[in-house]
This record gives sequence, structure tokens and C-alpha cells, in this order.
Amino acid sequence: MSLEPRVIAALGRRALSVQFRRAQLLMPTFVLPLMLLAVIASGTSSAQDLEGFPAVGSYLSFVLPGTIIQGALLAGLTSGIALASDIESGFFDRLLAAPVRRVSLVLGRLAGTLGLSVLQTAFFLLVALPFGARYPGGVAGLAGTVVLAAVTAVGIGGIAAAIALRTGSLSLMQSIFPFVFVLLFTAPAFFPRELLTPVLADLAVFNPLTYVVEASRGLLAGDAELGSPIAGLGASLGLAIATTALAVFALAERLRTT
Amino acid sequence: MPPLDAAAPAVEVRGLVREFKGGIRAVDGLDLEVRGGEIYGFLGPNGAGKTTLVRILTTLLRPTSGSARVAGYDVVTDADRVRRSIGVALQEAAIDPLMTGRELLRMQGALHALRGSEAKRRASELLDRVGLTTAGDRRVGGYSGGMRRRLDLALALVHRPDVLFLDEPTTGLDPTSRAALWREVRSLNDEGTTVFLTTQYLEEAEQLADRVGIIAGGRLEAEGTPDVLKARVGEPMLIVTVDDPADADAAREALRELGRVEPCAPGGTPERVVVRTVRGKEAIPPAIRALDERGVAVASVEVESPTLDDVFAAVTGSRLEGAAEPESAAA
Amino acid sequence: MASAPALPAAPGTLAVIGVLWRRSLNEVVRVRGALLPATVAPVVFLLGMSGQFSRLTGLEGFPTDSYLSWIVPLSCLQAAGFAGAATGANLARDIEQGWFDRLLVSPVPRPVLVAGPILGAITRCLVPTTVVLVVGFLLGAELTGGLLGLLALYLAATAFCAVAGLWGVFMAVIFRTQQAGPLMQQGVFVAVFLSTAYTPQALLRGWLEGAAAYNPVTYVLELGRQATVSGIEPSLANTWPGLAALGGLLACFGALAMLGLRRMGA
Repeated sequence: MSLEPRVIAALGRRALSVQFRRAQLLMPTFVLPLMLLAVIASGTSSAQDLEGFPAVGSYLSFVLPGTIIQGALLAGLTSGIALASDIESGFFDRLLAAPVRRVSLVLGRLAGTLGLSVLQTAFFLLVALPFGARYPGGVAGLAGTVVLAAVTAVGIGGIAAAIALRTGSLSLMQSIFPFVFVLLFTAPAFFPRELLTPVLADLAVFNPLTYVVEASRGLLAGDAELGSPIAGLGASLGLAIATTALAVFALAERLRTT
Repeated sequence: MPPLDAAAPAVEVRGLVREFKGGIRAVDGLDLEVRGGEIYGFLGPNGAGKTTLVRILTTLLRPTSGSARVAGYDVVTDADRVRRSIGVALQEAAIDPLMTGRELLRMQGALHALRGSEAKRRASELLDRVGLTTAGDRRVGGYSGGMRRRLDLALALVHRPDVLFLDEPTTGLDPTSRAALWREVRSLNDEGTTVFLTTQYLEEAEQLADRVGIIAGGRLEAEGTPDVLKARVGEPMLIVTVDDPADADAAREALRELGRVEPCAPGGTPERVVVRTVRGKEAIPPAIRALDERGVAVASVEVESPTLDDVFAAVTGSRLEGAAEPESAAA
Repeated sequence: MASAPALPAAPGTLAVIGVLWRRSLNEVVRVRGALLPATVAPVVFLLGMSGQFSRLTGLEGFPTDSYLSWIVPLSCLQAAGFAGAATGANLARDIEQGWFDRLLVSPVPRPVLVAGPILGAITRCLVPTTVVLVVGFLLGAELTGGLLGLLALYLAATAFCAVAGLWGVFMAVIFRTQQAGPLMQQGVFVAVFLSTAYTPQALLRGWLEGAAAYNPVTYVLELGRQATVSGIEPSLANTWPGLAALGGLLACFGALAMLGLRRMGA
């Protein structure tokens, strides 16, 4: 399979610029996770006093990976929303009429998601600094976290794109919003896995985001006890590859049936 | 309900100005009077200030300065009474797609103080009037453009208003729907309703309006009956085409009595003879007689009158859309 | 003017509120699944947050040992608030599409034009609020406050819905575009969370400690918590701060909404 890097880059750039031009797409991806972070970091910080809570330098740094993953989830979802809106507006048909490989259309969209996630993660990491977040993991830990988040965003973007391609419905995509939080909350996003309710702790084992959150926690703190980077990378890569394939398949189905 | 006192103007606008942010004056010192019982056509290109004026007259927008009275009431200080006296069908009528036509009419009735049973009866009556009886219980979301406009008109009529405002009522409609709407407007006017109509279609103004006002750049540039306005730009042209170009001069001589003969344009068609005459179509029989007396064989005789578009072009320096290809240059 | 024509009467306020109320219910009655996201989201938050943070009740000073009981009222308020803010989004759409002009040219007092949709929102918010309550109850939240407590919770939720609705209306008449929708939702989001949402006042740290104390929503929340939190029993002392907060919020946002409506030039 030959790739068309230039087409993919162009489509990715376009996806990204549309994202930044539409305030209603930007607000939820950049602002919403920060609000939740502010509330959780401040409202639940006394949790550190709980028995069994790992010793961490900063509570904010501990919950930040939850915010980063939430950002990745929302970046993926908004790319699905943007795709559905392209389909409804007819823009996608124009792309289909262009002499490019179909796979490039999917990969281009996901390239935009990837770019968005990198910007977002960097933004979250920076904003948290003046509020007392510390990253003992150093540059390597920060870079690793950015990569993990970006690959996860592609993984979520793949599912969202697949749904958008199969349904072509903007309103359906928008109503998926709450389910993003199901994925988030069934991972130990803001609390250590050992302290979740038992049912949730059992569920978390099957949620790939669990390993991403824990890996990123480990990377930022430079403490592999908190999470294994290898497990995180494996989980996010597996998710990304599987859902990208799903989206490509959904596009093929769409072309076959419409 | 008694129609407005014919002596009192239905709409009276004095020195009206509406300035938007950035100092743009959409309406710029407008004076205007619409008499009770007439159809007043307000003509202008997009962005000329038509919609701004209508929004002021219907109490949706406050003027920056100047005054406007509708049905005898000031639109700012007596807005509530104005609202009770007017019916409004605005451009791009938004109608709740989730409601049926009948529900909308009954709701409109409640907004205008009709009692439940009365609103119900009035809804049926109006559905019948605009030919939507069978569609009345379907949701508006499935209506065609023409049906929506008719329903919109019906909604504006629920409380039997004295003055009806129609903002571009037929923009985007097909010719059949347009003609049906025109018929309805005429019959409402026959019943005594004063109609204030904005349009960018010349034909609409020509067909419906007793008087026409032309707005450009926020000012009223010309006003009068269509005939008077057209006479202002020029007299009708009598155009005679002779069989043999050699007879052209004889024909010119023969037609001198009827009006001003235009000289033969160099490079023009030599068999064409043009006479400007106030008599218009009435000049045709004497013209034929005169030509016959001189033995000039004639291929055709026709009269061309100026159109409202010519008036518009003369007044504003630009042409309206809908008349050939619109000139994009603004006045 | 001696010959001024007889004008039709002014419309009956109740009748108009009635038709506008019914119309705003169409948004959920006639659109399939319209209530689903508004119901699912607070339930997801309820389940997620209680799953994540249930151990917080182990902290000294937490008034109840059931974290679910602690946050059920929060989720109810959140659900009601979002239902209220949707009024603003719907109004912005009505303004954008020109439907609201139709109402503005009618001889109806301006506050009445807003009252109908707000009542509609209050009616609609009963569904997600009740679903959240039932799910919470089924999962083990305790209704320690009895009937009076429940009454307090529903009062807090519906009145908060009206506050959120007025806030949404204010945003809608200022911005006059549906793009302002997220702003309306996030306003509610922030207002709810900058309170004793997850932990009681005594356990709050830093800036949130001050913010929550001054946030009227904290007191609305405490009003609702009389239903489920055994540490906050139904009593006048737990009720009047919430009522006062709601009264103040309603007056404040009601005035803002009316001012904004006037500024539209109508």
C-alpha cells in the first residue's frame, strides 16, 4: 500500500485550521478538560490524605494525565464531528471526487487529530506549571506523554470517523459526547486504580485508557511504579491501528452502499 | 373592523435615520407616507435599507432619530398599539418545523388575544383561505417554499390587521406560487387592508402596487404611481419598421405630427423609424393612417414603454436584479 | 384622534404562557431521543464520579459514608441546569432563524415571551432529574431526608433550572447566535463545580475553599442535599440559605435577561 504523504499532510492541515476557526469545536477540546481539572485538583486534593494513596509530589501532576486523556478523547470526537459536518455539507463528496486514494482521506483526517492532540497536550502541560505541577520525569517524560496522548487521540478519532462515515449524521455525533466520559471514568483517570470502587477497578482492566493514563503518570513523575510506559504505548498503538482500520473499512462500506 | 380613516396615513415616516455600528446609515433621512387602503411597493436592491425600514416600522428595531407612525401610533412610544394593528410576514419566514400549520395559527391567535374557540375557528378559516386545509395538520417541516409563504401570510392575518407588512414575500418562489400570492394580496387589499410591500422584483411592484417608492442608499429616491414614474424617465417609443429602407425618410416625414422623431442613428438599422410620443399605444392607428396616405409599406409597428427598471436605473444609476443580468456595481 | 379604530384586546398572559410552554415542550416530545443526551450525561457523570472518588468519604469530616448520596443532588442540579441552559440555545436558534421576530411583533409583554420557554425547561428538566435520582437510589443512595428532603431537592433542581434558563436567555439575546451554546452550558458547568460539588466545605483546599463559600450554588446544593445526605437533615437552617440564594439568582439573571431583551431594540 503506497501512501500519499503530501495529500495526508494537506488534509491534516485543513482539518486543523477548520478546528481553530470554529469556536464551538475549540472550546470543548481546550477549555472543558481544564475546567474539570481545576475542579478536581482543587475539590478532591484532600484525597492525598487517604490511606493507600501513592506518595506523589504534587496532586495536580497526579490528576493531569486524566485531563490529557480527556483532551485526547475530545480531540478524537471533534474530528468525527467535523467529518460528519463535512459529509452533511457535501464537502466530503468533493474530496471523494478528487484523484486521491480513499485511505488518504481517512489518514488525513486523523493526521489533523494527531496535530490537534499534540498542541492540546503541550497546552495542558504548560498551563498546569504555574499552578504547581512538576514533571520530575523530565523532557523524556514530557515527550513520551505527548506521544501517548497523540496516539490515543488517533485511536479515538478512528472510532469517531468510522461512526461518522457509517451514519453521516452530525446530530448523532454530537449526542455521543457523554459516552466519551464513560471511557474516561472507567479508567483510573483521576484516582489510583486501587482506590476505585471494586466494580470500576475490575472494569478498568479492560479499558485501554487505563494503561495510557498510568503510563503517562509514570512518565511525568519519572516513577515506573505509577505505570509502565510500554503497556501504555502498546495499548494506545493497538487502539489506533484497530480503529483506523475500522474507519478505512467504514469508508469502503460507505462508497459501496451510497 | 372599520378600515383606517382614509384621510389618516397608515404609515407616516419623518426624517427617519437608523445608524448601525461603524456609522453605517442603513436608513438615512427618509420621509414617506402610505395612505390607508393602498398597496405601497417599496423597491430597492439588496442592502438598500428596505429590511431596516420594515424592522423599524414593525417595532423590531429602534430608529436612531426621526419618527415613524404606523396606524396612527408612534412605533417607539406606542409600540404595543402598533403591534396590535399590524400583521407582519418577514423575509425568510422562520416557521417552527415541529408544529403543524393549524397549531401555528392557533398559537398566533393566542398571541393576539383570540379566545381558544375563536382562534380555532380563525385557523380553519385562514387555512381554507390560503389553500392549506389538507396540509394544515401536517408539520411545517414538510411544507414546500410556496406553502410556507402562504402559511406565513395566513399567520400575519390572524388578528385582521389594518396594515400588513410583507417583506419580499415572493423571493425564491416559482411563478405559479408567486401569482397565487399576488392574487391573495390583491383580494386582501380589496377588503380594505393597507399593504406595505418590499420587493426586489419590478414585476411585483408593477403588478401589485398603487404607488411605488424607490430606495437606494437609505434614501427615498423616487415615489409615485408606476405610470407617473415611468413617464418621468421618458415618453414611450413608437417603432415603425418599413419594408424598404428607401422609404424611411418618407415615414419620418409622415410621423412628425405624432411626436419627436429620432434621427437615424449612424450604423443603426435603416428601416427602423423611432418616434417618442406621450400618446403611447394610442398613436398606432394615426401612425398607420399617415403612413398609408404616403404609400409607405410597413412591416411592423410597435410601442415600447419605459419599464420600472428604466426608472430604477435613471434614479439610482444601477439596475435591479431580475431585469436581465444584474449589474453588480452599486449606485 | 377621535376616530382611532378600536384595537383588539391585550392577550391573556396565562394563555400566551400556555402556548409558548407547549411549544417549548415540542423540542423533546416531537424529536425522537431529544432528551437522551441530556439524561445520559448526568447519569454518566454520577456513575463516573462516584466510581472514581467514592473513597473520599473515608476522609475525616465527610458527613456521609455514601459518596453516591453525596453527589446524587449534584448530578440532579447539573441535569436541571443543562436542561435550563438549553432554553438559551433554543432561543438563540429562534433568533437566528427569525422565529423570535414573530413573537416580538406580537402585542405580548416581553417577560411573558421568556416565561413560556422557562416553564418548558422546568418541565423538561423533571425527566433527567428524576432519572438521575432513580439510578442513584437503585445503586444505593439513601433517601434519608424523606418526603420533605425530596421536596427540597426538586425545588432546588427546578429553580436552578430556571436560573440557568434565564442565564441562557441573557446569553442568547446578547450574542444572538447558536455559537454561544457552549458558553451557556459551560457557565452552568462552572457554577455547579465551583461549589462543594465533590467534597464538603471543610475539606476544600486553596482557592476553591473561598470560591465555594461565596458561590450561591453551594447553598442551592446544600438545599438539595437534605434529600440524601444523612449529615444534612431537613431543617429550616439548611433550607433558607438555599432559598435566599435562588431568589437572588433568579432576580439577578431575570433582570439581565430583560435588559438584554430591551437592548435588542424591541
